[in-house]
Amino acid sequence: MAFDIDRYTATSVSVHWDDLDLATFREHPLPERSLRTLRYMADVEYHTVCYTRDLLTTPSHREADVSAFMTMWNREEFWHGEALAAVLAVHDITVDYDALKASRLKLGWKDRLDPIKQSVLGSLVGTDFVAVHMSWGAANEWSAITAYQRMAELEEHPVLAELLRRIARQEARHVAFYTSQARARLAASTKAQKITRFALSRFWAPVGSSISSTDDVRHVMTHLMSGPEGRRAAHRVDESISGLPGLDGLTIVQDALDGLGVPA
Amino acid sequence: MIGLTPLPEPFDVRKFARTAQGSLRGDFDLAAFEVAPLPRDVLRMLAVLAHLEGATMAHLRNVLVTPTHKDARVTAFLVSWAFEKFWIADALRAVAAAVPGGELSGGIPGAPPRRGRGPVRRAIVGVVQGRSVVGAHLSLGLVDDWVLRAAYERVAAEAASAALSDVVDRILDLKARHTNFFGDEVQRRLSASKPAARLTRRELRRTALPLGSAVLEPADCAFFARFTFDGERGEALAAAIQRDIRKLPGMNERTSRVVRGAITVGSAS
Repeated sequence: MAFDIDRYTATSVSVHWDDLDLATFREHPLPERSLRTLRYMADVEYHTVCYTRDLLTTPSHREADVSAFMTMWNREEFWHGEALAAVLAVHDITVDYDALKASRLKLGWKDRLDPIKQSVLGSLVGTDFVAVHMSWGAANEWSAITAYQRMAELEEHPVLAELLRRIARQEARHVAFYTSQARARLAASTKAQKITRFALSRFWAPVGSSISSTDDVRHVMTHLMSGPEGRRAAHRVDESISGLPGLDGLTIVQDALDGLGVPA
Repeated sequence: MIGLTPLPEPFDVRKFARTAQGSLRGDFDLAAFEVAPLPRDVLRMLAVLAHLEGATMAHLRNVLVTPTHKDARVTAFLVSWAFEKFWIADALRAVAAAVPGGELSGGIPGAPPRRGRGPVRRAIVGVVQGRSVVGAHLSLGLVDDWVLRAAYERVAAEAASAALSDVVDRILDLKARHTNFFGDEVQRRLSASKPAARLTRRELRRTALPLGSAVLEPADCAFFARFTFDGERGEALAAAIQRDIRKLPGMNERTSRVVRGAITVGSAS
Protein backbone atom coordinates (compact mmCIF):
# COMPACT_ATOMS: atom_id res chain seq x y z
CA MET A 1 0.00 0.00 0.00
CA ALA A 2 1.30 3.46 -0.85
CA PHE A 3 2.53 5.55 2.05
CA ASP A 4 0.52 8.75 2.52
CA ILE A 5 3.25 11.34 3.08
CA ASP A 6 0.86 14.27 3.62
CA ARG A 7 -0.99 12.38 6.29
CA TYR A 8 2.28 11.38 7.91
CA THR A 9 3.70 14.92 8.02
CA ALA A 10 0.39 16.34 9.25
CA THR A 11 0.26 13.88 12.16
CA SER A 12 3.94 13.69 13.07
CA VAL A 13 4.42 14.71 16.71
CA SER A 14 7.20 14.47 19.24
CA VAL A 15 6.70 11.51 21.57
CA HIS A 16 5.26 12.72 24.86
CA TRP A 17 5.83 11.44 28.38
CA ASP A 18 4.54 14.32 30.55
CA ASP A 19 1.69 12.14 31.76
CA LEU A 20 4.00 9.27 32.75
CA ASP A 21 5.23 9.17 36.31
CA LEU A 22 8.96 8.81 35.77
CA ALA A 23 9.50 9.27 39.52
CA THR A 24 8.50 5.60 39.95
CA PHE A 25 12.00 4.78 38.71
CA ARG A 26 13.31 6.22 41.98
CA GLU A 27 11.47 3.53 43.92
CA HIS A 28 11.86 0.86 41.28
CA PRO A 29 15.08 1.65 39.45
CA LEU A 30 16.10 -0.32 36.38
CA PRO A 31 19.01 -2.73 36.79
CA GLU A 32 22.50 -1.79 35.58
CA ARG A 33 22.40 -3.90 32.42
CA SER A 34 19.09 -2.35 31.34
CA LEU A 35 20.43 1.15 31.86
CA ARG A 36 23.40 0.30 29.67
CA THR A 37 21.01 -0.88 26.95
CA LEU A 38 18.83 2.24 27.30
CA ARG A 39 21.88 4.46 27.02
CA TYR A 40 22.84 2.68 23.81
CA MET A 41 19.32 3.18 22.47
CA ALA A 42 19.36 6.90 23.34
CA ASP A 43 22.71 7.34 21.55
CA VAL A 44 21.34 5.63 18.45
CA GLU A 45 18.22 7.84 18.41
CA TYR A 46 20.20 11.06 18.84
CA HIS A 47 22.57 9.93 16.12
CA THR A 48 19.80 9.49 13.54
CA VAL A 49 20.50 12.88 12.01
CA CYS A 50 23.97 11.64 11.09
CA TYR A 51 22.44 8.67 9.31
CA THR A 52 20.40 11.17 7.31
CA ARG A 53 23.69 12.52 6.11
CA ASP A 54 24.47 9.18 4.45
CA LEU A 55 21.03 9.07 2.86
CA LEU A 56 21.38 12.59 1.62
CA THR A 57 24.61 12.03 -0.23
CA THR A 58 22.76 9.83 -2.71
CA PRO A 59 20.18 10.83 -5.32
CA SER A 60 17.30 10.23 -2.89
CA HIS A 61 17.39 13.74 -1.43
CA ARG A 62 16.03 15.13 -4.67
CA GLU A 63 12.70 13.57 -4.15
CA ALA A 64 10.16 15.69 -2.30
CA ASP A 65 8.45 12.81 -0.48
CA VAL A 66 11.72 11.46 0.83
CA SER A 67 12.74 14.93 1.91
CA ALA A 68 9.45 15.52 3.74
CA PHE A 69 9.67 12.13 5.44
CA MET A 70 13.23 12.68 6.58
CA THR A 71 12.41 16.04 8.11
CA MET A 72 9.74 14.50 10.36
CA TRP A 73 11.62 11.25 10.93
CA ASN A 74 14.70 13.09 12.17
CA ARG A 75 12.66 15.05 14.64
CA GLU A 76 10.72 12.04 15.94
CA GLU A 77 13.96 10.12 16.49
CA PHE A 78 15.55 13.11 18.24
CA TRP A 79 12.61 13.10 20.66
CA HIS A 80 12.99 9.36 21.25
CA GLY A 81 16.51 10.23 22.38
CA GLU A 82 15.14 12.93 24.69
CA ALA A 83 12.53 10.55 26.14
CA LEU A 84 15.09 7.84 26.88
CA ALA A 85 17.45 10.49 28.28
CA ALA A 86 14.65 11.54 30.68
CA VAL A 87 14.44 7.98 32.02
CA LEU A 88 18.21 7.82 32.37
CA ALA A 89 18.20 11.19 34.14
CA VAL A 90 15.99 9.77 36.91
CA HIS A 91 18.78 7.23 37.41
CA ASP A 92 21.31 10.10 37.61
CA ILE A 93 22.75 9.34 34.20
CA THR A 94 23.15 12.56 32.22
CA VAL A 95 23.05 12.53 28.43
CA ASP A 96 23.83 16.08 27.37
CA TYR A 97 24.91 17.48 24.03
CA ASP A 98 28.52 17.73 25.17
CA ALA A 99 28.61 14.04 26.05
CA LEU A 100 27.10 13.16 22.66
CA LYS A 101 29.60 15.42 20.97
CA ALA A 102 32.46 13.70 22.77
CA SER A 103 31.33 10.28 21.58
CA ARG A 104 30.94 11.55 18.00
CA LEU A 105 34.46 13.01 18.11
CA LYS A 106 35.80 9.56 18.93
CA LEU A 107 34.53 8.18 15.63
CA GLY A 108 37.58 9.51 13.79
CA TRP A 109 38.63 8.81 10.23
CA LYS A 110 36.24 6.02 9.42
CA ASP A 111 33.31 8.30 10.11
CA ARG A 112 34.77 11.08 8.01
CA LEU A 113 35.30 8.80 5.06
CA ASP A 114 31.91 7.15 5.21
CA PRO A 115 29.92 9.84 3.41
CA ILE A 116 32.55 10.00 0.70
CA LYS A 117 32.45 6.24 0.21
CA GLN A 118 28.66 6.11 0.31
CA SER A 119 28.33 8.95 -2.12
CA VAL A 120 30.79 7.51 -4.61
CA LEU A 121 28.93 4.19 -4.46
CA GLY A 122 25.66 6.06 -4.73
CA SER A 123 26.61 7.92 -7.85
CA LEU A 124 28.09 4.78 -9.42
CA VAL A 125 24.88 2.83 -9.22
CA GLY A 126 22.55 5.83 -9.39
CA THR A 127 18.92 5.60 -8.40
CA ASP A 128 19.09 1.85 -7.78
CA PHE A 129 21.18 2.68 -4.73
CA VAL A 130 18.18 4.39 -3.16
CA ALA A 131 16.66 0.90 -2.88
CA VAL A 132 19.61 -0.11 -0.69
CA HIS A 133 19.01 2.81 1.65
CA MET A 134 15.30 2.20 1.86
CA SER A 135 15.75 -1.52 2.55
CA TRP A 136 18.51 -0.74 5.04
CA GLY A 137 16.23 1.77 6.74
CA ALA A 138 13.41 -0.80 6.88
CA ALA A 139 15.74 -3.39 8.44
CA ASN A 140 16.88 -0.85 11.04
CA GLU A 141 13.38 0.28 11.94
CA TRP A 142 12.12 -3.32 12.23
CA SER A 143 15.05 -4.09 14.51
CA ALA A 144 14.34 -0.99 16.57
CA ILE A 145 10.69 -1.92 17.10
CA THR A 146 11.71 -5.44 18.06
CA ALA A 147 14.33 -4.14 20.47
CA TYR A 148 11.83 -1.84 22.20
CA GLN A 149 9.26 -4.62 22.42
CA ARG A 150 11.81 -7.05 23.87
CA MET A 151 12.96 -4.46 26.38
CA ALA A 152 9.38 -3.86 27.50
CA GLU A 153 8.75 -7.61 27.90
CA LEU A 154 11.97 -8.23 29.81
CA GLU A 155 11.65 -5.34 32.26
CA GLU A 156 7.97 -5.72 33.13
CA HIS A 157 8.04 -2.11 34.31
CA PRO A 158 4.66 -0.50 33.49
CA VAL A 159 5.95 3.06 32.99
CA LEU A 160 8.89 1.96 30.86
CA ALA A 161 6.64 -0.40 28.87
CA GLU A 162 4.23 2.43 28.08
CA LEU A 163 6.99 4.81 26.99
CA LEU A 164 8.60 2.15 24.78
CA ARG A 165 5.20 1.29 23.32
CA ARG A 166 4.74 4.94 22.28
CA ILE A 167 8.17 5.05 20.71
CA ALA A 168 7.63 1.74 18.91
CA ARG A 169 4.32 3.00 17.51
CA GLN A 170 6.15 5.86 15.81
CA GLU A 171 8.83 3.49 14.55
CA ALA A 172 6.04 1.43 12.95
CA ARG A 173 5.17 4.41 10.74
CA HIS A 174 8.81 4.71 9.77
CA VAL A 175 8.77 1.05 8.78
CA ALA A 176 5.71 1.72 6.64
CA PHE A 177 7.53 4.49 4.78
CA TYR A 178 10.75 2.55 4.25
CA THR A 179 9.03 -0.66 3.17
CA SER A 180 6.72 1.08 0.71
CA GLN A 181 9.73 2.84 -0.84
CA ALA A 182 11.90 -0.29 -0.78
CA ARG A 183 9.19 -2.54 -2.17
CA ALA A 184 8.44 -0.25 -5.12
CA ARG A 185 12.10 0.33 -5.99
CA LEU A 186 13.09 -3.32 -5.63
CA ALA A 187 10.10 -4.53 -7.63
CA ALA A 188 11.02 -2.14 -10.45
CA SER A 189 14.61 -3.27 -10.93
CA THR A 190 16.43 -6.59 -10.67
CA LYS A 191 19.68 -4.62 -10.55
CA ALA A 192 18.40 -2.86 -7.43
CA GLN A 193 17.53 -6.27 -5.94
CA LYS A 194 21.02 -7.60 -6.60
CA ILE A 195 22.78 -4.53 -5.20
CA THR A 196 20.53 -4.48 -2.11
CA ARG A 197 20.96 -8.19 -1.46
CA PHE A 198 24.71 -7.81 -1.75
CA ALA A 199 24.88 -4.70 0.48
CA LEU A 200 22.64 -6.09 3.23
CA SER A 201 24.22 -9.55 3.40
CA ARG A 202 27.72 -8.15 3.24
CA PHE A 203 27.60 -4.95 5.29
CA TRP A 204 24.51 -4.82 7.49
CA ALA A 205 25.16 -4.77 11.23
CA PRO A 206 22.80 -4.10 14.14
CA VAL A 207 21.78 -0.44 14.46
CA GLY A 208 24.35 1.40 16.53
CA SER A 209 27.30 -0.80 15.51
CA SER A 210 28.96 2.10 13.72
CA ILE A 211 28.78 4.41 16.75
CA SER A 212 29.34 2.02 19.67
CA SER A 213 32.03 -0.36 20.87
CA THR A 214 31.66 -4.05 19.99
CA ASP A 215 31.33 -4.71 23.74
CA ASP A 216 28.29 -2.46 23.91
CA VAL A 217 26.72 -3.99 20.80
CA ARG A 218 27.28 -7.50 22.22
CA HIS A 219 25.84 -6.45 25.56
CA VAL A 220 22.66 -5.05 24.00
CA MET A 221 22.15 -7.95 21.61
CA THR A 222 22.73 -10.50 24.37
CA HIS A 223 20.39 -8.61 26.68
CA LEU A 224 17.56 -8.35 24.16
CA MET A 225 18.02 -11.06 21.57
CA SER A 226 19.52 -14.12 23.29
CA GLY A 227 17.71 -17.30 24.31
CA PRO A 228 14.78 -18.91 22.49
CA GLU A 229 12.53 -15.82 22.83
CA GLY A 230 15.20 -13.45 21.60
CA ARG A 231 16.04 -15.67 18.65
CA ARG A 232 12.39 -15.99 17.75
CA ALA A 233 12.18 -12.19 17.65
CA ALA A 234 15.30 -12.03 15.44
CA HIS A 235 13.78 -14.65 13.16
CA ARG A 236 10.66 -12.51 12.77
CA VAL A 237 12.73 -9.47 11.72
CA ASP A 238 14.58 -11.62 9.18
CA GLU A 239 11.27 -12.88 7.84
CA SER A 240 10.09 -9.32 7.28
CA ILE A 241 13.30 -8.31 5.50
CA SER A 242 13.35 -11.43 3.33
CA GLY A 243 9.75 -10.71 2.35
CA LEU A 244 10.91 -7.73 0.27
CA PRO A 245 11.23 -8.36 -3.50
CA GLY A 246 14.40 -10.25 -4.34
CA LEU A 247 15.60 -10.56 -0.74
CA ASP A 248 14.16 -14.00 0.08
CA GLY A 249 16.30 -16.22 2.23
CA LEU A 250 18.26 -13.37 3.86
CA THR A 251 18.94 -13.96 7.57
CA ILE A 252 21.02 -10.88 8.34
CA VAL A 253 19.87 -10.38 11.93
CA GLN A 254 20.42 -13.99 12.97
CA ASP A 255 23.77 -13.99 11.17
CA ALA A 256 24.79 -10.83 13.05
CA LEU A 257 23.85 -12.44 16.39
CA ASP A 258 25.92 -15.52 15.51
CA GLY A 259 28.80 -13.29 14.50
CA LEU A 260 28.68 -11.54 17.87
CA GLY A 261 28.50 -14.89 19.70
CA VAL A 262 25.08 -14.12 21.22
CA PRO A 263 23.83 -17.39 22.80
CA ALA A 264 20.72 -18.83 21.13
CA MET B 1 16.41 46.90 10.94
CA ILE B 2 18.29 43.74 10.15
CA GLY B 3 20.83 42.90 12.77
CA LEU B 4 21.94 40.77 15.63
CA THR B 5 20.04 40.77 18.85
CA PRO B 6 22.61 40.15 21.55
CA LEU B 7 21.39 37.47 23.91
CA PRO B 8 22.07 37.66 27.63
CA GLU B 9 21.96 33.85 27.85
CA PRO B 10 23.19 31.29 25.34
CA PHE B 11 20.39 30.09 23.06
CA ASP B 12 18.40 27.31 24.73
CA VAL B 13 18.35 24.53 22.12
CA ARG B 14 16.22 22.20 24.25
CA LYS B 15 13.58 24.88 24.74
CA PHE B 16 13.62 25.61 21.01
CA ALA B 17 13.13 21.91 20.24
CA ARG B 18 10.31 21.69 22.79
CA THR B 19 8.45 24.66 21.36
CA ALA B 20 9.13 24.11 17.64
CA GLN B 21 6.17 25.22 15.54
CA GLY B 22 4.43 22.67 13.33
CA SER B 23 1.76 23.34 10.70
CA LEU B 24 0.62 26.96 10.45
CA ARG B 25 -2.43 26.23 8.30
CA GLY B 26 -4.87 26.55 11.17
CA ASP B 27 -3.51 29.98 12.14
CA PHE B 28 -4.51 31.93 9.05
CA ASP B 29 -7.70 32.96 7.36
CA LEU B 30 -6.95 31.58 3.90
CA ALA B 31 -10.40 32.61 2.66
CA ALA B 32 -9.18 36.23 2.77
CA PHE B 33 -6.88 35.48 -0.17
CA GLU B 34 -9.75 34.23 -2.31
CA VAL B 35 -11.52 37.59 -2.27
CA ALA B 36 -8.45 39.83 -2.41
CA PRO B 37 -5.95 38.32 -4.84
CA LEU B 38 -2.25 39.10 -4.56
CA PRO B 39 -0.12 40.76 -7.27
CA ARG B 40 1.51 38.36 -9.72
CA ASP B 41 5.05 39.15 -8.64
CA VAL B 42 4.16 38.53 -5.02
CA LEU B 43 2.77 35.13 -5.93
CA ARG B 44 5.96 34.29 -7.76
CA MET B 45 7.97 35.37 -4.72
CA LEU B 46 5.86 33.12 -2.49
CA ALA B 47 6.71 30.23 -4.82
CA VAL B 48 10.40 31.05 -4.75
CA LEU B 49 10.40 31.49 -0.97
CA ALA B 50 8.58 28.16 -0.51
CA HIS B 51 11.35 26.45 -2.45
CA LEU B 52 14.09 28.25 -0.55
CA GLU B 53 12.55 27.47 2.85
CA GLY B 54 11.91 23.86 1.88
CA ALA B 55 15.43 23.14 0.67
CA THR B 56 16.69 22.17 4.12
CA MET B 57 17.54 18.56 3.37
CA ALA B 58 19.92 19.53 0.56
CA HIS B 59 21.57 22.01 2.93
CA LEU B 60 21.79 19.42 5.71
CA ARG B 61 23.57 17.12 3.30
CA ASN B 62 26.22 19.74 2.62
CA VAL B 63 26.63 20.49 6.30
CA LEU B 64 26.50 16.98 7.73
CA VAL B 65 29.16 15.47 5.47
CA THR B 66 31.62 17.75 7.29
CA PRO B 67 32.74 17.87 10.94
CA THR B 68 29.67 20.03 11.69
CA HIS B 69 27.74 16.78 12.26
CA LYS B 70 29.95 16.07 15.29
CA ASP B 71 28.48 18.96 17.18
CA ALA B 72 25.41 17.53 18.90
CA ARG B 73 24.11 20.94 19.95
CA VAL B 74 24.19 22.21 16.38
CA THR B 75 22.60 19.05 14.94
CA ALA B 76 19.89 19.16 17.63
CA PHE B 77 19.12 22.72 16.53
CA LEU B 78 19.12 21.80 12.84
CA VAL B 79 16.57 19.01 13.39
CA SER B 80 13.94 21.46 14.70
CA TRP B 81 15.07 24.21 12.30
CA ALA B 82 14.35 21.94 9.32
CA PHE B 83 11.00 21.01 10.88
CA GLU B 84 9.90 24.64 11.27
CA LYS B 85 11.09 25.56 7.79
CA PHE B 86 9.16 22.63 6.33
CA TRP B 87 5.96 24.11 7.75
CA ILE B 88 6.89 27.67 6.73
CA ALA B 89 7.20 26.41 3.14
CA ASP B 90 3.88 24.64 3.55
CA ALA B 91 2.21 27.86 4.76
CA LEU B 92 3.55 29.80 1.77
CA ARG B 93 2.20 27.17 -0.60
CA ALA B 94 -1.15 27.18 1.20
CA VAL B 95 -1.46 30.95 0.77
CA ALA B 96 -0.58 30.79 -2.91
CA ALA B 97 -3.00 27.93 -3.48
CA ALA B 98 -5.80 29.92 -1.82
CA VAL B 99 -5.41 32.72 -4.37
CA PRO B 100 -7.46 31.94 -7.48
CA GLY B 101 -5.00 30.93 -10.20
CA GLY B 102 -2.14 31.10 -7.75
CA GLU B 103 -0.92 27.48 -7.75
CA LEU B 104 2.83 27.31 -7.52
CA SER B 105 3.62 25.81 -10.87
CA GLY B 106 5.40 28.25 -13.15
CA GLY B 107 9.08 28.98 -13.01
CA ILE B 108 10.16 26.27 -10.61
CA PRO B 109 11.92 23.21 -11.97
CA GLY B 110 10.67 19.69 -11.22
CA ALA B 111 14.17 18.35 -10.68
CA PRO B 112 16.67 20.83 -9.32
CA PRO B 113 19.71 21.53 -11.46
CA ARG B 114 23.05 20.61 -9.94
CA ARG B 115 25.10 23.59 -9.06
CA GLY B 116 28.00 24.17 -6.75
CA ARG B 117 30.15 21.57 -5.08
CA GLY B 118 28.79 18.07 -4.67
CA PRO B 119 28.79 16.12 -1.40
CA VAL B 120 32.01 14.24 -2.14
CA ARG B 121 33.96 17.44 -2.76
CA ARG B 122 32.42 18.98 0.34
CA ALA B 123 33.23 15.96 2.48
CA ILE B 124 36.85 15.92 1.33
CA VAL B 125 37.19 19.67 1.83
CA GLY B 126 35.51 19.24 5.25
CA VAL B 127 38.18 16.77 6.35
CA VAL B 128 40.85 19.36 5.59
CA GLN B 129 38.97 22.31 7.06
CA GLY B 130 38.34 20.58 10.37
CA ARG B 131 36.20 22.14 13.04
CA SER B 132 36.47 25.69 11.69
CA VAL B 133 33.86 24.69 9.18
CA VAL B 134 31.16 24.69 11.88
CA GLY B 135 31.52 28.46 12.34
CA ALA B 136 31.43 28.96 8.57
CA HIS B 137 28.24 26.92 8.21
CA LEU B 138 26.53 28.83 11.00
CA SER B 139 27.56 32.13 9.39
CA LEU B 140 26.00 31.02 6.11
CA GLY B 141 22.82 30.25 8.05
CA LEU B 142 22.89 33.71 9.60
CA VAL B 143 23.38 35.62 6.35
CA ASP B 144 20.79 33.41 4.65
CA ASP B 145 18.29 34.45 7.34
CA TRP B 146 19.12 38.13 6.76
CA VAL B 147 18.60 37.81 3.00
CA LEU B 148 15.26 36.02 3.41
CA ARG B 149 14.10 38.53 6.01
CA ALA B 150 14.75 41.31 3.50
CA ALA B 151 12.72 39.37 0.91
CA TYR B 152 9.79 38.89 3.31
CA GLU B 153 9.79 42.61 4.13
CA ARG B 154 9.54 43.45 0.43
CA VAL B 155 6.80 40.86 -0.10
CA ALA B 156 4.71 42.33 2.71
CA ALA B 157 5.22 45.90 1.46
CA GLU B 158 4.50 45.04 -2.17
CA ALA B 159 1.37 42.99 -1.43
CA ALA B 160 -0.25 45.68 0.74
CA SER B 161 -2.51 42.95 2.12
CA ALA B 162 -3.33 42.76 5.80
CA ALA B 163 -3.88 39.01 5.52
CA LEU B 164 -0.46 38.46 3.94
CA SER B 165 1.21 40.77 6.45
CA ASP B 166 -0.14 38.55 9.23
CA VAL B 167 1.38 35.48 7.56
CA VAL B 168 4.72 37.22 7.01
CA ASP B 169 4.83 38.53 10.60
CA ARG B 170 4.21 35.04 11.94
CA ILE B 171 6.91 33.55 9.72
CA LEU B 172 9.40 36.27 10.67
CA ASP B 173 8.71 35.63 14.37
CA LEU B 174 9.60 31.97 13.90
CA LYS B 175 12.66 32.83 11.86
CA ALA B 176 13.85 35.31 14.49
CA ARG B 177 14.66 32.38 16.77
CA HIS B 178 16.76 30.75 14.06
CA THR B 179 18.57 34.03 13.49
CA ASN B 180 19.24 34.35 17.22
CA PHE B 181 20.77 30.88 17.37
CA PHE B 182 22.97 31.50 14.34
CA GLY B 183 23.93 34.98 15.56
CA ASP B 184 24.79 33.76 19.03
CA GLU B 185 26.95 30.91 17.72
CA VAL B 186 28.65 33.02 15.07
CA GLN B 187 29.66 35.74 17.55
CA ARG B 188 31.15 33.16 19.86
CA ARG B 189 32.90 30.99 17.30
CA LEU B 190 34.31 33.71 15.06
CA SER B 191 35.64 35.73 18.01
CA ALA B 192 37.32 32.64 19.41
CA SER B 193 39.00 31.35 16.27
CA LYS B 194 40.94 33.13 13.54
CA PRO B 195 40.91 30.05 11.27
CA ALA B 196 37.11 29.92 11.63
CA ALA B 197 36.85 33.60 10.66
CA ARG B 198 39.19 33.09 7.70
CA LEU B 199 37.24 30.10 6.45
CA THR B 200 33.96 31.99 6.95
CA ARG B 201 35.19 34.87 4.80
CA ARG B 202 35.99 32.40 2.03
CA GLU B 203 32.74 30.44 2.35
CA LEU B 204 30.64 33.61 2.35
CA ARG B 205 32.37 34.78 -0.82
CA ARG B 206 31.97 31.51 -2.71
CA THR B 207 28.56 30.17 -1.57
CA ALA B 208 25.38 30.91 -3.50
CA LEU B 209 23.02 32.86 -1.23
CA PRO B 210 20.22 32.52 -0.28
CA LEU B 211 21.16 28.96 0.59
CA GLY B 212 18.50 27.07 -1.32
CA SER B 213 19.12 28.99 -4.53
CA ALA B 214 20.83 25.93 -6.05
CA VAL B 215 17.34 24.41 -6.40
CA LEU B 216 16.07 27.42 -8.38
CA GLU B 217 16.23 28.17 -12.07
CA PRO B 218 18.63 31.07 -12.82
CA ALA B 219 15.65 33.19 -13.95
CA ASP B 220 14.03 32.75 -10.52
CA CYS B 221 17.28 33.65 -8.75
CA ALA B 222 17.47 36.87 -10.76
CA PHE B 223 13.81 37.59 -10.08
CA PHE B 224 14.36 37.07 -6.34
CA ALA B 225 17.30 39.51 -6.36
CA ARG B 226 15.40 42.13 -8.37
CA PHE B 227 12.27 41.92 -6.27
CA THR B 228 14.15 42.10 -3.00
CA PHE B 229 16.96 44.53 -3.71
CA ASP B 230 15.71 46.85 -6.48
CA GLY B 231 14.74 50.45 -5.73
CA GLU B 232 15.52 52.71 -2.82
CA ARG B 233 14.15 50.35 -0.18
CA GLY B 234 15.92 47.37 -1.74
CA GLU B 235 19.18 49.21 -1.82
CA ALA B 236 18.84 50.11 1.85
CA LEU B 237 18.20 46.46 2.72
CA ALA B 238 21.25 45.31 0.73
CA ALA B 239 23.38 48.00 2.39
CA ALA B 240 22.17 46.89 5.84
CA ILE B 241 23.14 43.27 5.10
CA GLN B 242 26.57 44.41 3.91
CA ARG B 243 27.01 46.48 7.06
CA ASP B 244 25.92 43.63 9.34
CA ILE B 245 28.30 41.17 7.69
CA ARG B 246 31.11 43.69 8.11
CA LYS B 247 30.31 43.92 11.84
CA LEU B 248 30.71 40.17 12.45
CA PRO B 249 33.96 39.21 14.20
CA GLY B 250 36.82 38.78 11.75
CA MET B 251 34.92 39.89 8.65
CA ASN B 252 36.32 42.48 6.26
CA GLU B 253 35.12 45.02 3.72
CA ARG B 254 35.92 42.79 0.76
CA THR B 255 33.82 39.88 2.00
CA SER B 256 30.81 42.02 2.80
CA ARG B 257 31.08 43.74 -0.60
CA VAL B 258 31.36 40.44 -2.50
CA VAL B 259 28.32 39.02 -0.71
CA ARG B 260 26.31 42.14 -1.44
CA GLY B 261 27.32 41.95 -5.09
CA ALA B 262 26.33 38.27 -5.29
CA ILE B 263 22.93 38.57 -3.63
CA THR B 264 21.98 41.58 -5.74
CA VAL B 265 23.09 40.19 -9.13
CA GLY B 266 20.39 41.09 -11.65
CA SER B 267 19.00 43.89 -9.51
CA ALA B 268 19.76 47.58 -9.91
CA SER B 269 20.98 47.77 -6.30
